[in-house]
Amino acid sequence: MFDFLPQWMRDGLGDDVLFWLGYLTNGKHLTWYASLQFTVFAAVFGSLLAVTFGLLGATLKNSTFPPARLIGTIYASIVRGVPDVLFFIFFPLAFEQSVEWVMASQVCTPETLAAQSAAWPPCKEANWLLSTPEYLVMASVSLGIIYGAFATNVIHGALRAVPKGQLEAARAYGMSASQVLWRIHIRQMWVYALPGLSNVWMLIIKATSLLSLLQIADIVLWADRLGAPNFLKSVGLVHDDWRWRYYLVLFVFYILVTLVSEKGFNVLMRWAGRGILDESRR
Amino acid sequence: MTQSAPETASKPNVVSIRDLHKSFGELEVLKGISFDAREGEVVALIGSSGSGKSTLLRCINMLEVPNQGTVAIDGEEIRLRGKGHDRRIGDERQIHRIRSELGMVFQSFNLWAHMTILENVMEAPLVVQKRPRPEVEAEALAMLAKVGIREKAGAYPAQLSGGQQQRAAIARALCINPRVMLFDEPTSALDPELEVEVLRVIKILADEGRTMVLVTHDMEFARSVSDRVIFLHQGLIEEEGTPDQVFGATRSPRLKQFLNAANHE
Repeated sequence: MFDFLPQWMRDGLGDDVLFWLGYLTNGKHLTWYASLQFTVFAAVFGSLLAVTFGLLGATLKNSTFPPARLIGTIYASIVRGVPDVLFFIFFPLAFEQSVEWVMASQVCTPETLAAQSAAWPPCKEANWLLSTPEYLVMASVSLGIIYGAFATNVIHGALRAVPKGQLEAARAYGMSASQVLWRIHIRQMWVYALPGLSNVWMLIIKATSLLSLLQIADIVLWADRLGAPNFLKSVGLVHDDWRWRYYLVLFVFYILVTLVSEKGFNVLMRWAGRGILDESRR
Repeated sequence: MTQSAPETASKPNVVSIRDLHKSFGELEVLKGISFDAREGEVVALIGSSGSGKSTLLRCINMLEVPNQGTVAIDGEEIRLRGKGHDRRIGDERQIHRIRSELGMVFQSFNLWAHMTILENVMEAPLVVQKRPRPEVEAEALAMLAKVGIREKAGAYPAQLSGGQQQRAAIARALCINPRVMLFDEPTSALDPELEVEVLRVIKILADEGRTMVLVTHDMEFARSVSDRVIFLHQGLIEEEGTPDQVFGATRSPRLKQFLNAANHE
């Protein structure tokens, strides 16, 4: 494995270290490390969607048009009430089957329908085969919908915390409704929303460990596989049940993400709070 | 006093208000008010709290939409639709355009907290009036120099004293080259020692011949700065005239009572 290293270095490391170095960089382990991209993608894309849905939901909740307000309120209350795991497996399945149902109405013939009898999908041509990229997008959308409901409440509260007089001043100087919203209201909203949104971000990070429920071979699934008792033809038993060691690596990983996130949110907070935080400290 | 009464009498009306009514729920705050402010004229609105003077001022730029009556700026009537409590702005484009030429100064300053003082002053000229940045920046700095806080251009509102914030707010109003300056109790939120610096700036503007409508509780200031004083009582104009007439030869017993109370504050 490490034949490319010069002999003196191999002697210095010793056979044991070389063996474990080789073991931890074998194909399966490399796949494990690479599966981190799914977690990162779901977290980043999921949170972008959550903030988007949050802004949308909060705007609906703030609307003066009663039906819009109702939709915003229902979204925030119902989705927050449903267990995340349940919604996480429900939404992709429901979406997949709806697409198949629409496909079936286009492609199925009476003969193919009969051949499939009562099974799903209605006919083989209407079968939508999903692989990791599709599941990943659907997982991110699910995360976005679930945590967008939390973000809706956070942003709704933050929008109300922006001093009314400053919005009035913006209107008095001839700004249009959308200029007031984007240049003053939403820009100042962040400072009140960020503490709550950092909580939502942490929840999303934790929820990325659910990706394996959607058949995505993510870091959790691989830790499970790699931790199982392991035999190699050449050396026999490599290790027995080591799952706890692999899970421990995940623990450390998630704690590191938390620490880095806190630093990141501090930077964001300083940006959003320029001028405003000084005011509330006075 | 900025200009003698005959001097402004021949000038065109910048603000024309006709038969203005405004209620909040059951409470009728304005009960039919008409007045004009001519070009270069300084009109002071006085009256006890609840007399409707702030509401009247806020109707000029439609921060409050009157239930009845009309407001015209430079002869152009602000379009409204609906009736009574359902009355609302009829033409968004028109109101944005008209508002962009009315410089409002609020009691609580209402500077945008996330922008520096310079950004506050440049915001409306850049974003609403869409003027070129170099021109706006030069003018904004000149306005800040004029109100005496040029060195605070890079500071945030929260880092300034109340008096400095209000002067920044005045610079913000000046930088849009307003047809009218609207002052809503500009010194009520300030300590007396800070009040002076703001009043001095407003006095300079009045002497320049700017058209201004000013709500104030400071009788001495109203007397020294305005061309015409309007005394509001329970939503109606009770007395109106030059400062000398209103303060020197008071006719209405209610105004006499009000001035007595104000003198004993």
